[in-house]
Amino acid sequence: MSVFTPEQEKTLVGWTTRYPYSNMGLVEALRSVQEWKRCVTPEAASRVADIFQLPFNRVWSVATFFPTFTTKPTGRHRVGLCHGLSCWMAGSDKMEKCLEETFGTKPFETTSDGKFSWEPMECLGACEQGPALLVNERLQGQATNDKIAALKELK
Amino acid sequence: MTKIVTKHFDEPKLHELETYRRLGGYQGLAKALTMDRAAVVAEVEKSNLRGLGGAGFPTAAKWKTLPGEDKIPGPRYVVVNADESEPGCFKDRVLMARAPHQLIEGLLIAAHAIGAKETFLFVRGEYQNQYDILEQALAEADAAGYTKHASIKLMRGAGAYISGLDTALLETMEGKKAWPRQPPPFPTVAGLMGKPTVVNNVETLSMLPFIVREGGEAFAKIGSAKNGGTVVFSISGHVEKPGVYEVPMGTALRDVLALAGGVRGGKKLKCVIPGGTSMPPLLEKDLDLKLDFDAIRAAGTFLGAGGMIVLDETVDTVAVAHNIQRFLTHESCGQCTPCREGSYWNEEILERMLDEKGTAEDLANLTRVGENITGKVICALGDTVGVVTRAYMSKFPDDFKKRVPSNG
Ligand SMILES: Cc1cc2nc3c(=O)[nH]c(=O)nc-3n(C[C@H](O)[C@H](O)[C@H](O)COP(=O)(O)O)c2cc1C
Ligand code: SF4
Ligand code: FES
Repeated sequence: MSVFTPEQEKTLVGWTTRYPYSNMGLVEALRSVQEWKRCVTPEAASRVADIFQLPFNRVWSVATFFPTFTTKPTGRHRVGLCHGLSCWMAGSDKMEKCLEETFGTKPFETTSDGKFSWEPMECLGACEQGPALLVNERLQGQATNDKIAALKELK
Repeated sequence: MTKIVTKHFDEPKLHELETYRRLGGYQGLAKALTMDRAAVVAEVEKSNLRGLGGAGFPTAAKWKTLPGEDKIPGPRYVVVNADESEPGCFKDRVLMARAPHQLIEGLLIAAHAIGAKETFLFVRGEYQNQYDILEQALAEADAAGYTKHASIKLMRGAGAYISGLDTALLETMEGKKAWPRQPPPFPTVAGLMGKPTVVNNVETLSMLPFIVREGGEAFAKIGSAKNGGTVVFSISGHVEKPGVYEVPMGTALRDVLALAGGVRGGKKLKCVIPGGTSMPPLLEKDLDLKLDFDAIRAAGTFLGAGGMIVLDETVDTVAVAHNIQRFLTHESCGQCTPCREGSYWNEEILERMLDEKGTAEDLANLTRVGENITGKVICALGDTVGVVTRAYMSKFPDDFKKRVPSNG
């Protein structure tokens, strides 16, 4: 069975032609893979390497370098809580506990239904709203008990 | 106080083309396109604009290191650095979300000035909301014909702080892991895909429409000597009103803090990080310091990217140094041994001290590790690992001594 759907293959090929050099689309292509599969497996990286006509090792070195890419699936909703200096001063420790209790998981673990995972993240560029909360790469302002409880309602 | 890039921030629809144009938007670009390239560069040179992404390098001087088409024919590029990931910095986020057209206009002016037909805007992946706003603004700019002489393409990052360093940014854009390059050659000579490339910060480029419209001299006059115009501080930590504040270059630290409402809850100030957590802190005695690149440097630290964090008297600076070092350890690209290993050692020692398990040698070890990193590594992240903990140690010796057993 192929790793990607025909639609997904088309998107990946699209990244090879988006910029003046095909390699310039690689990080975006891996971002797409991460979004679809919630991780980048060696099989997926291998197919991306074929599409980009690059050695597997080149693609794998990129896939394993950047924090956005994971080798095991994240939750469908990937939640980040900043523990940078401003957010730590604003009580990120407490909000980490709240996330742990709300989802019943440790950082980087995915709930058994595959819906959620959470992780501490480095500065999210929202230091005036610390501790900053991020859901699927979208900033959500300051993390509060109520806001975290409401995440459970996400589909 | 004079404002330039945040001047119209009370306009709710500033992000839309119509509003931006009503307020004089794209007049700078129109004017630039009637000037020849050298005249635009000359205007920017007169303005004393300095790079606001961290290094403070004079913008026109950087542009002038780009070899002419006679020396290196073929494409040349402008890359917007919107990776903003230094702890304490969030001004680029606000500038992109509130005034995306101002950035686009500035970028198009820069493209004209250096003769680039293609430009790229690299945004950190965690700014997806802001990316959407930029994409929308770009569609408007395309439809209005502003991108006829130079195209703009968006690209997103993948969560690495080091991607914000210019040469690592270029590696990321080329589809490689973000290992900084060892210059020379500098990006203006051999940048993206080996082509001459100017990398500029969001805020730097956002200043250009004003400079071209009003003239370089008008911009220079707003700032201090050799530091033209304004700077946008993003202020967080123990202040009453955290947020972004634009002030003329050379404004006293005391006045900047007053804009943010001063130290929260009437507490006493312990220190102020002036430009993001890589920059050593300033103290109460520095409150009259006039903040520009050169004055802050003379005071032993850096303006950086204006990410100001205010710490009150309750803060333990050993825990602060540990938080900063933990970040640097996580973000070290691992290419140079002193940075990779030294980061790990520093973090381990600081952690031990916090856990009440400090040893008598720990302070000497922190000093020794630091001394063996700075100047022996490829990039400024490693240099920071070498100096930042030592800066807290020398400014707050009591906090550190408390954490280790005295040798009697
Ligand atoms: C570790 C590190 C991270 C950096 N991150 C950024 C960043 O996120 N955004 C930025 O504009 N500059 C960043 N810089 C500075 C860039 O290398 C470069 O100097 C800047 O983008 C040039 O633009 P400017 O001249 O307009 O300031 C970083 C530097 C270092 C050492
Ligand atoms: S100093 Fe550190 S971050 Fe910079 S290139 Fe070397 S290992 Fe990488
Ligand atoms: S320190 Fe948390 S968002 Fe910047």
